[in-house]
Amino acid sequence: MSVVVCLKWASVPGEPHDERFSGMSAADESALEFALRHAAILGVGVTAITVGPDGADRVLRDALACGATRAIRIDAPTTAAGTDVATAIADHILDAQWVWCGDYSLDRGAGSVPAFIAAHLGAEQALGVIAIELHEGTVRATRRLDGGRRELLDVHAPAVVSVEGATARLRRAGLRAVRDAATTPIEVVPATTPIHRAEFMVRAYRPRARQLAAPQGEQALDRVRVLTDATVTSAARGETVHLEPADAAVRIMRALREWGYLEVE
Amino acid sequence: MSTPDVDVIVVGAGPAGACAAIVAARAGLDVVLLERGPFAGSKNMYGGVVYPRILDGLIPNWWEEAPIQRWVTRRSTMLLTDTQALTVDFRSGAWGEPPYNGATAFRPDWDHWLASHAEAAGAHLLTDTTVIGLIRDIDGTVVGVRTDRPDGDLRARIVIACDGVNSFLAKEAGLYEHTDARHYTLGVKETLALPKDVIDERFAVRDRHGVDIEIVGCTGKVNGGGFLYTGLDTLAVGVVLKLPKLAAQQQRPEAIIAGLKRHPAIAPLVQGAELKEYSAHLIPEAGLTMMPKMTMPGMLVAGDAAALCLAAGIWLEGVNFAMASGMYAGETAVEAIRAGDTGATGLAGYQRRLSDTFVLKDHRKLRKAPELVLSDRVQHLYPGMVANVVERMFRVDNPEPKPGLRRILNQERKRAGVRRRDLVRDAWTGFRSFG
Amino acid sequence: MIAVVVVRGGELPSGGDEAIAECGGRAVLVGSGTAVAARSLTGIATELTTVELEHFRPAGWAAALSALLADEPAVVLPGSPDGRDLAPRIAALLHRPLYAGAMSITPQRVELARKGGTEIHQTHPGPEFVATLQPGVRGVAVDGALAPPTVSDATPTLLPRHEYRDPTVVAVLPPDPATIDLAEAPRIIAGGAGLDREARMQQLEGIGLLLGASMGATRVVTDRGWVPHQRQIGTTGVVVDPDLYVAFGVSGAVQHTSGLGAPDHIISVNTDAHCPMMQLADLAIVADANETLDHLEALLRDEHAAPRSAPR
Ligand SMILES: Cc1cc2nc3c(=O)[nH]c(=O)nc-3n(C[C@H](O)[C@H](O)[C@H](O)COP(=O)(O)OP(=O)(O)OC[C@H]3O[C@@H](n4cnc5c(N)ncnc54)[C@H](O)[C@@H]3O)c2cc1C
Ligand SMILES: Cc1cc2nc3c(=O)[nH]c(=O)nc-3n(C[C@H](O)[C@H](O)[C@H](O)COP(=O)(O)OP(=O)(O)OC[C@H]3O[C@@H](n4cnc5c(N)ncnc54)[C@H](O)[C@@H]3O)c2cc1C
Ligand SMILES: Nc1ncnc2c1ncn2[C@@H]1O[C@H](COP(=O)(O)O)[C@@H](O)[C@H]1O
Repeated sequence: MSVVVCLKWASVPGEPHDERFSGMSAADESALEFALRHAAILGVGVTAITVGPDGADRVLRDALACGATRAIRIDAPTTAAGTDVATAIADHILDAQWVWCGDYSLDRGAGSVPAFIAAHLGAEQALGVIAIELHEGTVRATRRLDGGRRELLDVHAPAVVSVEGATARLRRAGLRAVRDAATTPIEVVPATTPIHRAEFMVRAYRPRARQLAAPQGEQALDRVRVLTDATVTSAARGETVHLEPADAAVRIMRALREWGYLEVE
Repeated sequence: MSTPDVDVIVVGAGPAGACAAIVAARAGLDVVLLERGPFAGSKNMYGGVVYPRILDGLIPNWWEEAPIQRWVTRRSTMLLTDTQALTVDFRSGAWGEPPYNGATAFRPDWDHWLASHAEAAGAHLLTDTTVIGLIRDIDGTVVGVRTDRPDGDLRARIVIACDGVNSFLAKEAGLYEHTDARHYTLGVKETLALPKDVIDERFAVRDRHGVDIEIVGCTGKVNGGGFLYTGLDTLAVGVVLKLPKLAAQQQRPEAIIAGLKRHPAIAPLVQGAELKEYSAHLIPEAGLTMMPKMTMPGMLVAGDAAALCLAAGIWLEGVNFAMASGMYAGETAVEAIRAGDTGATGLAGYQRRLSDTFVLKDHRKLRKAPELVLSDRVQHLYPGMVANVVERMFRVDNPEPKPGLRRILNQERKRAGVRRRDLVRDAWTGFRSFG
Repeated sequence: MIAVVVVRGGELPSGGDEAIAECGGRAVLVGSGTAVAARSLTGIATELTTVELEHFRPAGWAAALSALLADEPAVVLPGSPDGRDLAPRIAALLHRPLYAGAMSITPQRVELARKGGTEIHQTHPGPEFVATLQPGVRGVAVDGALAPPTVSDATPTLLPRHEYRDPTVVAVLPPDPATIDLAEAPRIIAGGAGLDREARMQQLEGIGLLLGASMGATRVVTDRGWVPHQRQIGTTGVVVDPDLYVAFGVSGAVQHTSGLGAPDHIISVNTDAHCPMMQLADLAIVADANETLDHLEALLRDEHAAPRSAPR
């Protein structure tokens, strides 16, 4: 088992948790695509692995349809804590050379599971990668840094690489492959270590009241305050209007004119 | 002939396709159900009311599991003029208990539920897969379909086309002689959010009980009709519009819905509701006039794909016709494959099944209804005329004595510019259709 | 609580000052030019430990720092690229839970932005934990009266442990030219998941030309492959600071808005009157973004045609 891809089955933010609206993140799709390309270069198969309930078989079947050769589901609730997920995965892929992950899962989206897997495997890590070059022995990865700068890395096996969603388009599965994938057996295994539920109190998002970065010009201050302080309602920051599209466009033009963005330079 | 991969390919996991797949799979056939959307029903829309009686045989006690919004216990038909509204309102307690009559339901729920029964029966549902062509052998017999996936050809003994209105498959197979814009209406609909208790109060219903309102005279110069249905905590408001008129009038459907929502009789019902979704879809309106050949060697056509939607003007029933025709197509496929004859004679049973049941009986009975209900007189003259008649009946003009109905009728008919001959003919057609 | 901030060439990462402020001024600065960085923190930091190391190495540095951090119950890193890389490795070595992408952190309570920034998950952490703070959500009040921080250097005792495997750094590249126009744009017109098809992004770009604005997008849009990732605005994308920001179908998730700077004017067109982006807007229009775009494009074209078109 030398090329592994980790896929998380989760529901799309904003949708109810319902298998109809559940799947893998765009980042996971990129990861799967790279895993398949990489395996092709290395002349090996791809093992797709997920930690989740029965429903999670869906992402494994998608992976099989696209060309993964083996599918493992570690049986656990979707609420499993990230560290436990990583441990569970790592324990099943100790001999993995290349582990491909997405940069974020649809729901948790913390991007930390890949690093934990790397820690467990004592492997190299390249996270949040935005560009990949696949070579025989190494993978050249481009990582984002602050201020738009980027870092070029040479990654060597064993390694965990997590890629962003836009880095690759997942190939389209062939019809026959999709049909076969439906009947390919999936290895369902229990977690080796106890899985804890991540316990949280959930509430709707509300920006945090910001401390103000002085020294800055008065308006700047106000701007920052209004921009980020939730206690300032939309009314205070500006106005909310319900309009038909045509009128909406006219209203935008008016605002742009008032604010001086339409003056011809 | 090339060896088939499966027994039956059903194209389209709408109500027709799901039911066809259920029947064929339960008979032990190897069935593949192809759907272009990410899940069954994902992209499908309609007004909002299903009449599932036909499922009694297929899914006993379906009402205990079906994903419905509300049971329709109240049906109203409204005649609107700019300022007037005449409503015929009917309530039935019986419709609120098993075995029930009609229900409001969301298609993504309903179709998904039906398709899951097909899967439970052993049919293989392939989503995100669009059929882009028919595979036929030299003598034209349909032997499979081509999909948009890599190595996407799939062969079968029988293909059942349930791909909905404007069926690409039926057309490619040449089953439609001619298609004519006049045979279609455009249905547009807004889904509005409103708290359940507010809906219960405004529509005077309780629990899971709901309302189904059809409306004539609310579409301005464009011939058509309107509808207003109650979901659990949503309302469906929409209009069905004649295409040529719509084009001629250069009216935007949204504007017509907006007008309907502003009408004094409707505004209080939808006031304060938040727009959740806007959708539009074609409806095969002309029934028998437009129906294609339903069978050809190797292929059956069901549901909207066969124009089996019953659009008696504004009374829209399509899902039940789709489910029924889907079932009959499934039965026919089983019969034909068992008999080893999937040619014209082997599939003859389908036409027979349709003719002997409500599917074509209703269409025959209501043959003239769409034309009548969408005629200029019914659309633009009668609502005003009738409303005026009733207004004068109820108006108290003391010291004037009450006028007789016949006199009022005559005066209003003349005022509306309706010829007696036409009125009598329309009345007779209406009586023959709906009576 | 103590902050761990990766310094590159004396520069603090995005959210570095916020992480330090969240920890009441205590921090470990690790990387290159830590002394320089330390000096820039007067008014924010109180007690700093510097660890001077070349070449960022998440595994090696985590190992190097673990001894120093072992007795610190709560360790906070900024959710900057380096922070997100280093935090889980520290957590793993110290056998602690990690709370990633937090909105606020105290020893008793951690708030995390989840589900694409639409929800906040609140939790009471155990006695020991590691967390990353979402850059840009906290802000920092510089206290002029505050004395310069005490700085102690721990470098000699803390060399990276080479048995830990890390990738080799080939090069650090300057900002991608393709992002510069966006990063420095005074006017930005951005599209989100509310747009109905890929062509909308070209339309946005066209409208941008007419308006002298650069086109940006949310991650949902770049994930769809509608525009290259260089167009992604936000903490894991391009950080911008325009005067004018016009958003079409953008919900305003924290990871997006915290990369937005402080525009003078924000216009948001969205069907949901209550989403964060609408809250931030000077002009919040509840309408279909797609159709609005069609009309706006027409109006702007007329606007441009007007002066030139000579009457026949
Ligand atoms: C505005 C409006 C209101 C209506 N109101 C009502 C009502 O209140 N009650 C009622 O009973 N009926 C109503 N109808 C009619 C009803 O919606 C249809 O008659 C019914 O949906 C027909 O079902 P069907 O399965 O034949 O087709 P559809 O429901 O259209 O299903 C076709 C399926 O095939 C799939 N498909 C299409 N082409 C392909 C392809 N090439 N490859 C793969 N898959 C494909 C589609 O994605 C879809 O899932 C209404 C219709 C409209 C437009
Ligand atoms: C670690 C991490 C880092 C991230 N980094 C970034 C980043 O750098 N940049 C970034 O952008 N995101 C980032 N994200 C993702 C972020 O959390 C959100 O998921 C994303 O910003 C949402 O983008 P969106 O607003 O386009 O989509 P959504 O949140 O889905 O919002 C779509 C909006 O469109 C509106 N809408 C729908 N239909 C219409 C219509 N017809 N007309 C008008 N409006 C409509 C909806 O009401 C909604 O408000 C990150 C997430 C994580 C976990
Ligand atoms: N339950 C899981 N099963 C398999 N892989 C996962 C799981 N959770 C996270 N991952 C992987 O870790 C990446 C980042 O996830 P997260 O840390 O949850 O944002 C995902 O894109 C997946 O590749």
